[in-house]
Amino acid sequence: MEQGDRRMTRRAAAAWLLRAGTGALVAALAGRAASRPAPGRGVWQIDPRKCIQCGRCETECVLQPSAVKCVHGYAMCGYCKLCFGYFLPDAARLDEAAENQTCPTGAIRRKFIEDPYFEYSIEEGLCTGCGLCVKGCTNFGNGSLYLQVRHDRCVNCNACRIAEACPAQAFTRVSAASPYLLKETLS
Amino acid sequence: MSVVRVFCLLLALGPAWASAESRFPQPQFDSGHVVPQAAHPPSSLEHVPPLADTLALVLALAVAALLVHRVRSRRWLLVFTAGCLLWFGFLKRGCVCPVGVVQNVAEAVWAGGGLAWPVAALFALPLLAALLGGRLFCAAVCPLGAVQELVIIRPLRVPRALDAVLRLVPLAVLAFGTVLAVNGAGYWICRTDPFVGLFRCSAPLPMLLAGMAVVLLGMVVARPYCRYFCPYGVLLEVCARLAWRRVEITGSTCVNCRLCVGVCPVGAVAAPREALNEAARSRQFGHFLRILAVMPLLVAGGAGAGWLAGAALARAHPQVALAARLAAQGPATAAEAEAEGPAEAEAAPEIQAFRRSGRDRAEVASLSAALVLSFRRGSAWAGACIGLVVALRLLGLTRLSALSVHEADRVRCVACGRCFPACPKNRRPTA
Repeated sequence: MEQGDRRMTRRAAAAWLLRAGTGALVAALAGRAASRPAPGRGVWQIDPRKCIQCGRCETECVLQPSAVKCVHGYAMCGYCKLCFGYFLPDAARLDEAAENQTCPTGAIRRKFIEDPYFEYSIEEGLCTGCGLCVKGCTNFGNGSLYLQVRHDRCVNCNACRIAEACPAQAFTRVSAASPYLLKETLS
Repeated sequence: MSVVRVFCLLLALGPAWASAESRFPQPQFDSGHVVPQAAHPPSSLEHVPPLADTLALVLALAVAALLVHRVRSRRWLLVFTAGCLLWFGFLKRGCVCPVGVVQNVAEAVWAGGGLAWPVAALFALPLLAALLGGRLFCAAVCPLGAVQELVIIRPLRVPRALDAVLRLVPLAVLAFGTVLAVNGAGYWICRTDPFVGLFRCSAPLPMLLAGMAVVLLGMVVARPYCRYFCPYGVLLEVCARLAWRRVEITGSTCVNCRLCVGVCPVGAVAAPREALNEAARSRQFGHFLRILAVMPLLVAGGAGAGWLAGAALARAHPQVALAARLAAQGPATAAEAEAEGPAEAEAAPEIQAFRRSGRDRAEVASLSAALVLSFRRGSAWAGACIGLVVALRLLGLTRLSALSVHEADRVRCVACGRCFPACPKNRRPTA
């Protein structure tokens, strides 16, 4: 009886040793991972300098419609009458008719300022993040239209689907405190 | 049509947006128009202190421990499971979760740090809880487990052999998922999460279909994702095996009525086994020695298979995929590169991005070769680990110890608590 009890305690001691060892291993792994600490997890953002407007932002996002939208850096805009972001290359007439517009959802608003200048603004509720206007503006214009992850919509997945599908590796994590990479402020 | 010609001309010149800023200088408005500033919504993440999330997890694990080990009530566990599903699933949107964090931790450990501490805590806390009280995280806290727990209708018994084979899948997912994450090929485990689309109430079609399939399967095979896919479950099982407090089916002494065996959806009740007689013992010992002898073979075989699979695994890395695309395109001469200009629009986006980056083909090829080698090495290690675990599991089959009562298998038991009300010894005598 007494011998049985002693064997049990030995077993229990060995079990505690194993348990403590495993616990220490788990803690060591977590500790090493968190050493050289990061300021935070950060949030996903598109570097507009790398973006090639492949159109996957619209289709790959786990949210439908995508959390990526077109934004307008007004400070870079030339206020062109013939805006290549707004009009299709083969537009018959330069007016607001849908068949002349690049944007498939008509999410770009065009406002007359003074001859010959027009101001363009994005209706985010309509934008699907397809990047067609961005392509036009980047290739033929000043590139003032560009894509950004909108943080009122983004759910900040651990593994961003668009980032994994992005052919140009334009997605990066940025600090949550300044979550945008605005083209007009980038050098 | 002239616009199209301009289009071609500009493409031939090269789409260098660096020079684009001066294309159309911003006008000076006579009307005094002020150039507006676009508004950018701030990140909502700033407003959530990470400490609160960690504390919520600690609290949830503590409550689960209380319900499993002290209160021992199936009903309260179910209520708590639903509550955790609402909080960690639908309110916290199910991301970031410990299942996926395995990859962040692996990547950060490999890189020597750089992970935010709340994320590391998310990885460690459920494992430490498992060391103390079994798979408490699976029991009630994990939202993925909770979805499956709530849809169990008529769980079938999975045949032992099939169960043993399927239980290798989580191991492979963990091993190869880690190799992919460490080598920078993205978080494959996150991509296979079946329910995160449900928590977000928005998902691409394949994810939605996978989630529905798991739910439908989960009605007849209890917790299919937890048992036969979850990579974090492998780590939890290791810790639960060493748990200080195991889940006790009965509050007093077991009378071997077998009622708990019938209600356990995951087949986690260990039935009593006779003490072996001398002949059987020596036979078991013979098995033990034979398995021990083939153990190196299993490990080496796993490593070899992993090495061979490494090249296929490497294709998940964007740089390796790009190199393969470029190689398939054939060698490019300078003249060909000139001719590639107008074809730009038809090229795959990866090729377009490559051309725009101004990188060298040879550079991509050498980077790809280095990556393939690294993948091969990693997946050889992964294969060796799988071989080792297979050998250890085989060794576990040759145990000699007897068992006189029904008890919960530390590894398989997810502490759902169905056996608590089923055990007649747990019922209080009614007045």
